[in-house]
Amino acid sequence: MSLMEAKGVTRRFGGLTAVNAVDFRVEQGEIVGLIGPNGAGKTTFFNLISGFLRPDEGEIRFDGQSIIGHKPSDICKRGMTRTFQIVKPFPEMTVTDNVMVGAFNHHRDRAAARAKASEVIELVGLGPQAAKLGRELTVAGRKRVELAKALATEPKLMLLDEVMAGLTPSEVAGMIEVLGRVRAAGVTMVIVEHVMQVIMNLSDRIYVLHHGEAIAEGAPDQIVSDAKVTKAYLGESFVAEAGGGAAS
Amino acid sequence: MAALRANWFYLAVLIGLLILPAYAESEFVTAVMPRGLSGSALLHIFVLIFFFAFMSQAWNIIGGFAGQLSIGHAAFFGIGAYVSTICYVHLGLTPWLGMFVAAVFTALVGAGLGLISFHYGLKGPFFALVTVAFAEITRLILLHWEFVGAANGILLPFSPNPTFWEFQFTSKEPYYYIALAMMLASIALVAWIARSRFGYYLHAIRQDEDAAEAVGVPTKRCKVQAIALSAALAGLGGTFYAQYTQYIVPDDMVVGRVSVEILLGAVIGGAGTVMGPIVGAFILIPVGEATRVIFEGGGTGTSLSTLIAADMSFGDKFVAYLDYLAAGGGGGLAIILYGCLLMVVVLGMPGGVLPWLAGLRARARRRAEASA
Amino acid sequence: MSDVYLQALISGLMIGGVYALVAVGLTLIFGVMDIINFAHGEFLMFGMYGAFFASALFGIDPYLSAVMALPLFFAIGWAVQGVLIRPVVGKSHAIQILLTLGLSLLMQALAQFLFSADFQSLKVDYGSATFDLSGARVSYTRLAAFAISMGMCAALWVFLQRTDTGKALRACAEEHEGAQAVGIDIARMYKIAFGLGIACVAIAGIVMTPFFYVAPVVGPKFTLVAFVIVVLGGLGNIPGAVAGALIVGVVESVGALVMPSPSLKDLAVYVLFILVLLFRPQGLFGGKGA
Repeated sequence: MSLMEAKGVTRRFGGLTAVNAVDFRVEQGEIVGLIGPNGAGKTTFFNLISGFLRPDEGEIRFDGQSIIGHKPSDICKRGMTRTFQIVKPFPEMTVTDNVMVGAFNHHRDRAAARAKASEVIELVGLGPQAAKLGRELTVAGRKRVELAKALATEPKLMLLDEVMAGLTPSEVAGMIEVLGRVRAAGVTMVIVEHVMQVIMNLSDRIYVLHHGEAIAEGAPDQIVSDAKVTKAYLGESFVAEAGGGAAS
Repeated sequence: MAALRANWFYLAVLIGLLILPAYAESEFVTAVMPRGLSGSALLHIFVLIFFFAFMSQAWNIIGGFAGQLSIGHAAFFGIGAYVSTICYVHLGLTPWLGMFVAAVFTALVGAGLGLISFHYGLKGPFFALVTVAFAEITRLILLHWEFVGAANGILLPFSPNPTFWEFQFTSKEPYYYIALAMMLASIALVAWIARSRFGYYLHAIRQDEDAAEAVGVPTKRCKVQAIALSAALAGLGGTFYAQYTQYIVPDDMVVGRVSVEILLGAVIGGAGTVMGPIVGAFILIPVGEATRVIFEGGGTGTSLSTLIAADMSFGDKFVAYLDYLAAGGGGGLAIILYGCLLMVVVLGMPGGVLPWLAGLRARARRRAEASA
Repeated sequence: MSDVYLQALISGLMIGGVYALVAVGLTLIFGVMDIINFAHGEFLMFGMYGAFFASALFGIDPYLSAVMALPLFFAIGWAVQGVLIRPVVGKSHAIQILLTLGLSLLMQALAQFLFSADFQSLKVDYGSATFDLSGARVSYTRLAAFAISMGMCAALWVFLQRTDTGKALRACAEEHEGAQAVGIDIARMYKIAFGLGIACVAIAGIVMTPFFYVAPVVGPKFTLVAFVIVVLGGLGNIPGAVAGALIVGVVESVGALVMPSPSLKDLAVYVLFILVLLFRPQGLFGGKGA
């Protein structure tokens, strides 16, 4: 049984079909990449599987149970947590308190939640900034808080929406290291990313979305050599990204 | 360090408040008080401070912690007063129990309002508008419901020799201690919330609802719980008000001005902080009462209408009008100050006085560290 | 249709016309600046007092006052925007609500201090004159209030559609950054929008003075009714606001007939309001269409 499985998931906005009959599955322990040009429907797809949007059609199962119509907080309790592309740290809370909000999911007690938060903060390398307020952090710091908040909910599956965007190459390297540790801790991940080297290196398997449809699926080397993908997306973009990755 | 010093400060204030009634008539207190203020008037002012601090603390739970701006809390306050008073007048239930009936009732009303509003995703200004409309609807119903006295309200039965169970007292002192206890209990409750999971969740909701939902905060349920708890406290406050003034009437209680006064303390002191509403009430009420004592003493006795119709030259009328204003005009100076305070705080220290002070202290510390 | 209902319908439409002008001011401010003005009704109240004193002290006819009020209240709105509202543009709605709530509190109390809490009424010779409209009695002053308000709404609509300033205002309402990018002076547009909005609501107040009492507490009711209308018509939508206002006027006056007590008429309006907020928050006619 797959950890998460989506079948025929469709969502329309007015006349536009943002996500069209997408089939998607994630196995325990995998890192699955989700790529596609801007406006391909990646974020909408994340919103659908994390419960922020309800699909018009289709079925989404997590851990063997349907999660259609469940609230995001409920889906999070079941073990699937997401981060946001536009990061959302709680601005007036310290890093520790930010992460504690997530940790309270499985630790009702304040001291236990704090302990869990410290553990996660160390894991993502935010230790020295634990007492800072959310709004005082740099972009890299915010991205890590975003990750830490999600990790603190002790997810089985984490959906990461562009956690590398806006980072410098050295910060990207740091984040890749963190994701390695997260994987070692046994968390399955789906990552949406624009920085191609990252996604090619990290992912076990990749899905390509184009105009809301999943046009390809496979191992990174298969995806790179897939004619459809190259035509639709990678042809221009991969070259551009490889050349100017630091600018993105 | 700073927190420790603040605690000593609060403890000293508390001891002062506990022993104040015993010294309300002492020579020292009489000497330092503004002219013409008796010991019982002093206690009355403190009752008002405690009461408004309590009401503002009630509002703080939904309006401050959860960040859902209610401009209709006068409704919960009024409903609370009516429920316990009806229980007392018609069923003979002591207000000591009636106040809890009132709290349960207002909690249910609050939960109902919250369930409907939050189920349909009302946020920000739209939630605020629904609370305004809800309060107006409540006022109109009370105003036309004969059973509860309609526009005349309810005059509580007066006992010349009240017993404790009647929640009526011939001196101000018992009210003083009841109000003080209510304020302290509300502080304790909110302090506990602030440290609990619930408090973290509410703060998270206020700062970013989607982010909170994403990390497992059941935002809708938390908001409904917050408004129910807030409404329950406001209901308790309503009972106290009814017993203290012995007279409840819709047009004095369930009006926009009261809703605004309830939120004023928290907003000025620091919404979403434990001590904000208390600090706010300790600033507002003395300022308001002092203004009333100093500026609204006499009045010239002429009404504005008489003045307009008077057979005088325009210049004479204008001079007479200035006299009229100098004597306090038509009143309302205290509220003018409240309005100014609210705007000054919103523009100059948007988080309220306490967070503003904390920010100043943090900046001073940083400067000290930088120069060291 | 029986006579009472016809009467209710006509008086509802008459007062609805005035509500339209109140609501158009509010929706213009909201549309352009994204600010919800809780002190809206207080400007109406000050307009009424202005007309009352002009009449009581100098014998100035309220309709002449209405004409003079246009530049005066435009200037007041301009100044209030420049001094008080400007710092909170773009801030959280809570901050904006609290600021305008503070302004409303201040203005109410100031009116009480200056003019006392007494209810005043402006008396004109023609105040009680009526005419017959297929069985319903219509007073000339109410008809004038309706006609002037509707005329103002239409003038504002033409101004927004035809003039360069009007087009710039609409550009601001649609896209702040875009408007700035094409060289529109946003700060000035905000002052114009607030000035116009305040002038509208003040004139609405003035044309009511021949048949409506004046008191420091008249404002909040109109603020709330204007919100009802604006939500009903779609936020920022001017024709929607006019339609919404006529609906609210009729609901109110028919409500006065069917409710157990005429003074419960507002109940129908508020219940309608909550229902619209819950079930159709984009309004009956869609948002920001203007």
